[in-house]
Amino acid sequence: MISAFSELEYKAKQEWQALHSSSKPLILIGTATCGRSAGALETLETFQEELGKRGLDYSIIEVGCIGLCFAEPIVCIKKPQAPIVCYGNITPERARILIEEYLLKNNPLSEYALGTVGNGDIEGIPALLQTAIFKPQQRWVLRNCGFIDPANIRHYLANNGYRGFMKALGMSPDGIIEEIKISGLRGRGGAGFPTWKKWQFCRQANGNEKYIICNADEGDPGAFMNRSLLEGDPHSLLEGMLIAGYTIGAKLGYIYCRAEYPLALERLRIALKQAQEYGLLADNIFGSGFSFHIKIKEGAGAFVCGEETALIASIEGKRGMPRPRPPFPAISGLKEKPTIINNVETLACVAFILQNGANEFSECGNDDNKGTKTFALVGKVKYTGLIEVPLGIKLKQIIYEIGGGTFEGKQLKAIQTGGPSGGCIPHNLLDTPVDYDSLKGAGTIMGSGGMVVMDEDTCMVDFARYFLDFAQKESCGECVPCRLGTKQMLEILEDIAKGQAKPRDIDLLIELAEAVKASSLCGLGQTAPNPVLTTIRYFRDEYEAHVKHKMCPAAVCKEIISSPCQHVCPIDTEAPVYISLIANRRFQEAFNIILKDNPLPSVCARVCHHPCESKCQAGKWGDPIAIRALKRFATDYAFKKNAHPNTKPQRTNKEKVAIIGSGPAGLMAAYQLAHQGYAVTIFEALEVAGGALAVYIPEYRLPKHILNIDIENIKNAGVEIKTNTRVGKDLSFSELLSNHKAVFIATGAHKSRNLNIPGEDAEGVIEAMEFLSRLNRHKKVNLGKTVGVVGGGNAAVDAARAAARLKECRKVFIIYRRTRTEMPAFKEEVAALLKEGIEVKFLLTPTRILTQDKKIIGVECVKMQLGEIDESGRRSPVPIEGSQFVIDLDTLIVAIGEAVDVSFLGKEHSIETSKQGTVVVDPETMATNIKGVFAGGDVVTGPGTVIQAMSCGKTAAEMIDKYIRGESLVKEYKFTRPSIYIPPVELTEQEIEEAQRPELPNLTLDARMDSFAEVDLNMSEDMAVKEARRCLRCDLETAEGKRQLEQGFNKQDG
Amino acid sequence: MEKRLEEILSSYEGKSDELIPILQQVQSEFGYLPNEALIKIAKFTRVPESRAYAVVTFYAQFRLTPIGKKHIVVCRGTSCHVRGAPRILEQIEKHLGIKEGQTSADLEYSLETVACIGACGLSPCIMVNKKVEAKMTPKKIVKFFTKDE
Repeated sequence: MISAFSELEYKAKQEWQALHSSSKPLILIGTATCGRSAGALETLETFQEELGKRGLDYSIIEVGCIGLCFAEPIVCIKKPQAPIVCYGNITPERARILIEEYLLKNNPLSEYALGTVGNGDIEGIPALLQTAIFKPQQRWVLRNCGFIDPANIRHYLANNGYRGFMKALGMSPDGIIEEIKISGLRGRGGAGFPTWKKWQFCRQANGNEKYIICNADEGDPGAFMNRSLLEGDPHSLLEGMLIAGYTIGAKLGYIYCRAEYPLALERLRIALKQAQEYGLLADNIFGSGFSFHIKIKEGAGAFVCGEETALIASIEGKRGMPRPRPPFPAISGLKEKPTIINNVETLACVAFILQNGANEFSECGNDDNKGTKTFALVGKVKYTGLIEVPLGIKLKQIIYEIGGGTFEGKQLKAIQTGGPSGGCIPHNLLDTPVDYDSLKGAGTIMGSGGMVVMDEDTCMVDFARYFLDFAQKESCGECVPCRLGTKQMLEILEDIAKGQAKPRDIDLLIELAEAVKASSLCGLGQTAPNPVLTTIRYFRDEYEAHVKHKMCPAAVCKEIISSPCQHVCPIDTEAPVYISLIANRRFQEAFNIILKDNPLPSVCARVCHHPCESKCQAGKWGDPIAIRALKRFATDYAFKKNAHPNTKPQRTNKEKVAIIGSGPAGLMAAYQLAHQGYAVTIFEALEVAGGALAVYIPEYRLPKHILNIDIENIKNAGVEIKTNTRVGKDLSFSELLSNHKAVFIATGAHKSRNLNIPGEDAEGVIEAMEFLSRLNRHKKVNLGKTVGVVGGGNAAVDAARAAARLKECRKVFIIYRRTRTEMPAFKEEVAALLKEGIEVKFLLTPTRILTQDKKIIGVECVKMQLGEIDESGRRSPVPIEGSQFVIDLDTLIVAIGEAVDVSFLGKEHSIETSKQGTVVVDPETMATNIKGVFAGGDVVTGPGTVIQAMSCGKTAAEMIDKYIRGESLVKEYKFTRPSIYIPPVELTEQEIEEAQRPELPNLTLDARMDSFAEVDLNMSEDMAVKEARRCLRCDLETAEGKRQLEQGFNKQDG
Repeated sequence: MEKRLEEILSSYEGKSDELIPILQQVQSEFGYLPNEALIKIAKFTRVPESRAYAVVTFYAQFRLTPIGKKHIVVCRGTSCHVRGAPRILEQIEKHLGIKEGQTSADLEYSLETVACIGACGLSPCIMVNKKVEAKMTPKKIVKFFTKDE
């Protein structure tokens, strides 16, 4: 028996050697399902055509996949005397280039290469297994995928294939069970039951007729580990089944594979046929006395058939409905005979263990969690793919090192494991080791290997609803808790997603979930509530935002948000309305809509950080609509037409309201209150009004004459602005309080943070806020020739770009302690900074200021490197010992943050402040602990954005109005809806095809640097209309919006 | 139809546990399960018609109505879901004028969704007549259906 097998193995090895040391190049093309969907068959055709044309001799083999889904189609080339080189994204076009360059000439095209495999190096191309994606991995189960021909049993034999089975034939079944026990293998299908134990139950069960079934149903959406293994290395499963069959005493095995995997089924059938031809599946295999055959049964599309007893029913030709256990299948299963059901991966591990020994397998992992596990890493992560890692690896490593982290600018939110039966792990628990027990402790399960990454654009309520919808569709209907329980849970979740839930619904959901878990007949019902329970556990605030605040923070739930742009705008600007008005060339009306909610429209059109654009639906599939630039178009249009309203509303109330600070928060509150008829006075300490808008944001970003137009309009609404009036000096806070019915503190954050390094008090070390303020107010500034700016936020960028425009500054640069990705300044500001030739010296921290005659002559900096990933998912900078060096300069501008100073309140005030010195308020009402005193903007939050400050001002105005009228300060929440629906424009097919965000016009470099002229220019009318037409009109996708569409926009809905 | 059905049945023994594989093969041949075929299959495998019907309506794979010349399957798996599949489905429904589970009046198109195709690394995915198309976007859909017309 052994010699017969050895002969087969020997021949196979000869063939393999010959293939790999041939003078003909060997080309491996990954044509598994993923490869095909990315065009691998076209690539294959191209190779065959081109090589045929040139009369070249070659071998092409279609292989499985190496797991790098994001880089499909993947082609590996082995030339004589060179290692295998793996190439990614090989489209037919690239294939031609590859043939020309590498096969004909000798240029290995490192820019297309992913890595090399095997002996030898190629300059410029790293070893594949040493790359960041592969280094943390341990590819045991997947060792052959992508490198052998899955339709050629000899390739499997040449790589130790079936050796494990031959070894097993020479062992006793008890001996094999012992080996599996030592290996520590636990079921890889999800439950993690010790494999040796299950086998032992079956082996010890009465009867001679026993069955082994491989569960290849892989029903979890988001999981494809088993599919890849079946398509890439089907024999490893067959070997595992042979070993299992021999151990438990079965003569017949079934592979139950889902019908949605046609390629896997095809490869399995070929493998079966070849195994039969080679005598590995036969009666009396190799004369051992052991007979074994395998049949394939196709699943018919029922997730519940992943459950053992349902699977058995399906094989028996019945409806896949589970039955109560005990008796367990190991005692009474298929045809009521002892049956073992194992997952594909479990059986592949068995083959590996018998081939290489239990000790090798158990070297990976920890205590009770041994070996490796494959995962399908998918979702909102850069490098999606099939990975295999040692159990116990930290989730953090998988997401960031292997997966490359989230996409640019998106925050990681949570990771889902275990599919519909699992739960989510939030971003702050990334140190969780990935093993059966740790994941259980975190509230989820290992599952079969699906790992879905979610970012800030995923709504956890919608996610739970998605899984319940799946459970409902797949519930077999047999038991009441699952059939009715999941339906009720789904209905509650749908109510929450529509904003129609009642406050007690969240707790009701938990109660229902626990009942369904405890009383369902099978695993489907028992685990269906898990996604709900874990999302509530870790993201309860998101549920409450939906229920209480009619908010969906991820901007997903349509009936709540209407359009994401309007929903996430802190002041509820009706972006879809003004955009569609512009698309319809109704420019004046567009401006009116903007002005309705925003008294600083020209300002926001230039400096808002546009959260709307970050959630724009068009942005999910291309570039977001240029919403801010469209606002600019509308406001510039109104400015040209001199179309600002200048009516003074009737003063109906006599109550006086005082506002301290004329920044965006104060101006917004003032405008709203004046419209209600209150007598509003703003007390501004400086000689100009506008706060940060006037004194910090430079002229080239926000021309002051534009700002003043908006401020004039606010004054015309009935607001009095007293400049040069400092509370705490010209009048006391308590005076103010006694003379006004209510006071709104909106004084901002202006205290510069210090570097706290020696020499900071030298001449030439300037605070950024001081510099910008003096510059904007036309006071003298004293900058030298070589200017360094410390910091990475907007203040630093503003200071640097402003300094670069001054004639006396020859060289300006920024010193920042992290890298570009971590800079908190607005992305477009950083881009403009770099365009203007201002260097950013990354990864540096100042340690000491060098002086001569008390003047600064240089700054000593230490180099930084990015260290461990912290909770926020960013790497914290760590100084590199001994790397200090000096940068020569004569000016250092410090822009590392602003703190709040409320000393103007006087020593006797009793307003509650935080440790950081900010004023403490109720976030829903802006009320301080003192009746009648409200606060908002940076003075409460610390440095924030213009629009956030305006939002605080808006809320404060609402609450002050309620307060003065004696109503309780309760915030009302309503759904986001536009006040009017504008008919959509029809785009031609060509327009849709060509639709793209335009390059927004701006001043040329030459024109910029000599002056403070505004850099961003207005769009032309045609450009604006074209861009506005690109809007997807999300507002028409709610039930209300759809009705408007159907009814022809005649009725005013809701 | 009759002849082809006979041919298919001849390779089976007529046991009740062959019910599902036979249904799968017949559907593969005709694109759906015609009523007359169901009756014959039930008789052949010696199960009551009610049981055959129960099995057919239990499993998502089986169809009792014909599919279109172009059968489109949209994946609603987890990875596809978080990467925008709902919008892809909407766009297709809009473009074809039919909803999930329906066939167009001219039998050109039919639309269905499945829980998972298994090409999650390249989501969102759809299948058109068994060919998987990866990394779908609304633009690609427009291109797709205009190219085919």
